[in-house]
Amino acid sequence: MPTHAKEADPALRVKVLESILTEKGLIDPKALDALVDTFEHKIGPRNGARVVAKAWVDPAYRQRLLTDGTAAIKELGYSGLQGEDMVVLENTDEVHNMVVCTLCSCYPWPTLGLPPVWYKSAPYRARVVADPRGVLAEFGVTIPETTEVRVWDTTAELRYLVLPKRPEGTDGLSEEQLAALVTRDSMIGVGVLAAAA
Amino acid sequence: MLLTPEIVPGLVAAGASARVAASVAPRFRVGDRVIVRNLNPTTHTRLPRYVRGRFGVIEKDYGVFAFPDTHAHGLGEKPQHCYSVRFTARELWGPAASERDTLLADLFDDYMDPA
Repeated sequence: MPTHAKEADPALRVKVLESILTEKGLIDPKALDALVDTFEHKIGPRNGARVVAKAWVDPAYRQRLLTDGTAAIKELGYSGLQGEDMVVLENTDEVHNMVVCTLCSCYPWPTLGLPPVWYKSAPYRARVVADPRGVLAEFGVTIPETTEVRVWDTTAELRYLVLPKRPEGTDGLSEEQLAALVTRDSMIGVGVLAAAA
Repeated sequence: MLLTPEIVPGLVAAGASARVAASVAPRFRVGDRVIVRNLNPTTHTRLPRYVRGRFGVIEKDYGVFAFPDTHAHGLGEKPQHCYSVRFTARELWGPAASERDTLLADLFDDYMDPA
């Protein structure tokens, strides 16, 4: 059997693909550098954290966010590639939402940046749908049996952002201070935010 | 079109929604019970295997989108509604699963039949 590209080292595969696309006149390699730089340095989960903090302090914004996630997120300047059609899922005492893409690695880039390696891994994708509470336990998260765990499989064009519960003991904090508390994992739904010390 | 560094910022900012501005009648309404078709194409699909043949309920109608199964192969957009469909954990994984937990998948008209 021939050695398929999928069996090769990922870095080598990327290099081969880049060479082919360049030779075919489809890309200028500098465009890839610009894309990588954008998503490594300019776009990341701090964007999502600002959305979350604003929703915590501004009830009208929270309502807009839950009604039309795409438009409300765009109010803060975050939109575009892989955030064209956003849905925001609010975690409450009744429901804990968590997000996966079992088919590949779909993820809301404008608010969270590029997905972490584990999000793209076969074990996370396979197990979180069948045993969400077991996967949460491995992230150190226990959700009470009285709370519904709701797994969202990103199978089509919608992209999901979890609005985590605001930690207790944070009443006096500013929006900026609140944003600093919001973790990437809490916006995927595999983390919860601890009460402020 | 050649992808150049100059067009990257505009591309990233604008994105490319797969929504289609076509008036297509939905086959299902919120609250409808559905059964997922047992489709096993060897070509591109966005229908995960674990929901095939399972019963679910339409949770939300997200509107009209290009159908990936045809669009990915240059066979046309075949615009149709995409829905959030709710399954109970027990329907998918059997009696040992939590009776409270649920899973939602985004499924197209062509993936489902009324149940």
